[in-house]
Amino acid sequence: MGVARLKKSELYYHKSVHAQIAAALQESQACQIISTESESEAKLRESGSETLALLSKSEEKLSDIRYLMRSLTPHFVDPVPSLDRMLGERPEVSMEDLSKLSDQTDLKVICEKTRAVEQRTAQTRLELSQARADLALLENLGFFQYQLSVITEGTKTLKAVIGTVKAESVNKLKAALGDFSKFSSDVDLTVAEIDEKANPQEIYAALIYSRKLEREILDVCVKNGFSSVEIPSHFQATVAEEKKIAVAKIAELEAAEAAALADMKALAQENMPTVQKLSDYWTSMNRRWQEIAKSENTETTVFTKFWIPETECEKLKSRIDSISSDVELVFADPEPGEEPPTLLRNGNLARPFNILTELYSPPTYRGIDPTPLLAPFFFIFFGMCLGDAGYAIVLAGTIWYVFRKYKRIPAGIKDFIKLFAYCSVSTLIYGIISGSFFGNFIDSFVPILVPFKNSLMLVDPMTNPMQVLGISLLLGVVHLMFGLLIAAYDKIRHGEFVDALGANISWFLFIVGLCFYGVGLGGMLPSHFVQIGQAMAILGAVIIFIYAGKGKAGIFNKIISGFLALYGSTSYLGDILSYSRLLALGFGSAVIGMVINLLGGLAADIPYIGWLIGIVVIIGGHIFSILINILGSFVHPLRLQYVEFFGKFYNGGGESFAPLTLSQEFVTVKS
Amino acid sequence: MEYLGLSLALFGAALAAALSGIGSAIGIGVAGGSAAGVMTEDPNKFGSCLILQALPGTQGIYGLLIAFFVLNKLGLLGGAGAVALNWNQGLQIFAACLPIALVGWYSAIWQGRTSAASIQMISKKPEAMGKAIILPAMVETYAVLALLTSILMLMGIQVG
Repeated sequence: MGVARLKKSELYYHKSVHAQIAAALQESQACQIISTESESEAKLRESGSETLALLSKSEEKLSDIRYLMRSLTPHFVDPVPSLDRMLGERPEVSMEDLSKLSDQTDLKVICEKTRAVEQRTAQTRLELSQARADLALLENLGFFQYQLSVITEGTKTLKAVIGTVKAESVNKLKAALGDFSKFSSDVDLTVAEIDEKANPQEIYAALIYSRKLEREILDVCVKNGFSSVEIPSHFQATVAEEKKIAVAKIAELEAAEAAALADMKALAQENMPTVQKLSDYWTSMNRRWQEIAKSENTETTVFTKFWIPETECEKLKSRIDSISSDVELVFADPEPGEEPPTLLRNGNLARPFNILTELYSPPTYRGIDPTPLLAPFFFIFFGMCLGDAGYAIVLAGTIWYVFRKYKRIPAGIKDFIKLFAYCSVSTLIYGIISGSFFGNFIDSFVPILVPFKNSLMLVDPMTNPMQVLGISLLLGVVHLMFGLLIAAYDKIRHGEFVDALGANISWFLFIVGLCFYGVGLGGMLPSHFVQIGQAMAILGAVIIFIYAGKGKAGIFNKIISGFLALYGSTSYLGDILSYSRLLALGFGSAVIGMVINLLGGLAADIPYIGWLIGIVVIIGGHIFSILINILGSFVHPLRLQYVEFFGKFYNGGGESFAPLTLSQEFVTVKS
Repeated sequence: MEYLGLSLALFGAALAAALSGIGSAIGIGVAGGSAAGVMTEDPNKFGSCLILQALPGTQGIYGLLIAFFVLNKLGLLGGAGAVALNWNQGLQIFAACLPIALVGWYSAIWQGRTSAASIQMISKKPEAMGKAIILPAMVETYAVLALLTSILMLMGIQVG
């Protein structure tokens, strides 16, 4: 239970077995390599050159793989849905298989093929957009009836230009060109018909002129707001003919684009499964050599240090021994000054709750593991927040289906799902004792079961919310006091008796005393609890007062800090009231359920198809309600653990044990 | 003046649903913008982003819940017909709706901002998801307390 004991291992081996040892360390998935002190880039380069070569090879492969993944993934239809993959439906292969696959596969060739297709696609798309632009331009030139070569090349004596002119300047331009009328045969201005609906400000116009007047005419044009449009030089025939050519070209290019995409898809379909496997392989290799590079090297030997859980030592030793006899493996306990990483190890019952601790911050190696301590509270709180027997059955049923369908779920995800499986039990129990089954489904639709439901009810938040509020706050007091006692225990463990008494036990006495006093006065406990409570509270307050003054100079300062410390009780009041959320969230899910049933019932009154709408509303509504309430029921109890409970005794501050592992994103590696 | 009580009560219910709904819409909108930004870099974060984006949505549900609570209390749901209400009782119900209406409105907006910041946080540190969820949940506390206040007040008011 709690934090797993780690051993510090020192491993000396000959360079000839370097690769096998590195593989053994990684495949055990239980060794966190420690940097040796002399680690520096320069040193690495001179002594660990083989490792470095292997590392750079893996990086080279990975860069190819990353390129392929990026280019091919959008075109790849994965036969295994990503959800299935996450839940462990991955091909099972051994590292030898992967190594062989890597030898057989020439990533460079696949990269080249992919690049070629990619370039073809890009080129085709570029031409296609060019052709489309051409066509768009031609659409505007319908008024020009001559060969376009007149514009792009001109004849011996004539030249033409096409441009746009502002609608209001057309007449001005015409008049200006009229000055050339003496050479009327030398100038001809054709203006496109104005389409009122289109862009009336700008009009296309074509100007045909004699080459000998080019400069003068163009000068007049510019002065009168004519701006020429560039016509691509490959336009030679008439507009109508060029249009036909452009349309044909577009069709051809579109076909080419489709073909290129199909090629890409075929490439993806053919190569992605291999690339995915190799991605895992080379990611593993990259990790391996990055970590092993932390070792120290001499001429012929390598020295690697790592942390390993005590329970894994034997297994690793026998594996290492089977590789070579030129190996020295030593296990040692961590030294007092050392801070090993933290691996949480809890029994089957508490293990799924590990993730809650890890989400906050793991404990230090010698600290308390709060997981088993928070587990029962989280379990109860989640149940109270979701608090519906029907929702619990849906949740448990879904989890049962997932576990039945997927047999190879990775351990971490499996634990997370199990967390919800556990919590569905508390949800079921609280749902039964508070009489909630899909909200008030029983009252609304199956009145025959009401007496049965009522006979199982112990609390009724709907008609007597104060009762549940009381229970919530009481649970809060228990939770907080438990936290205080853990803090006291932790301090006593480290020999800080005075601090334990002054900072934790005093508050415990004070608050529990006040509760006894209040509850006793309320008549819920025998009357002598009033006196006991009074005594406890006064004793607690006195200790708090004195402890706060410890170390303060002068009687005046002591008194001030004593009162300030007692004023701190308001924070406890806030902490306790925070637990009212248990009532509110439980209430929330019950009332949302009630509203859904109500709406379903109203819909059912619609003639003919009402029953169908009613069923849809009820099923859809409850699915929505389950999802939104699970989120709330997870987040809020978690907050109570992190803020209220952990605030009393736990800081985390450890570093998670991060062993050198194999990458298993796309495959499951069998040993 | 016969219906003044009923009108006041309905006004309260409308504010509860409307203001907290507005707050949630703004909050989710702010968080959604942040989520979209993160997902342009890493589309795989959709799941975690969605959870963080959904957090400021609860206020709208709390408001709706109180509105239904009021409608139910007034007998407006189902065919039974409205109960008789004097203006005093109507004002009481109106008052009971205010905590969730006002706190729901404002807390959802601020929770949305915190969610947006949390989404930025997981874009850089995906392992900090636990902390990223807790920060917006701290804001929601006050919406939960307001919900509780509204519920307790409504339960205490006698009508009919």
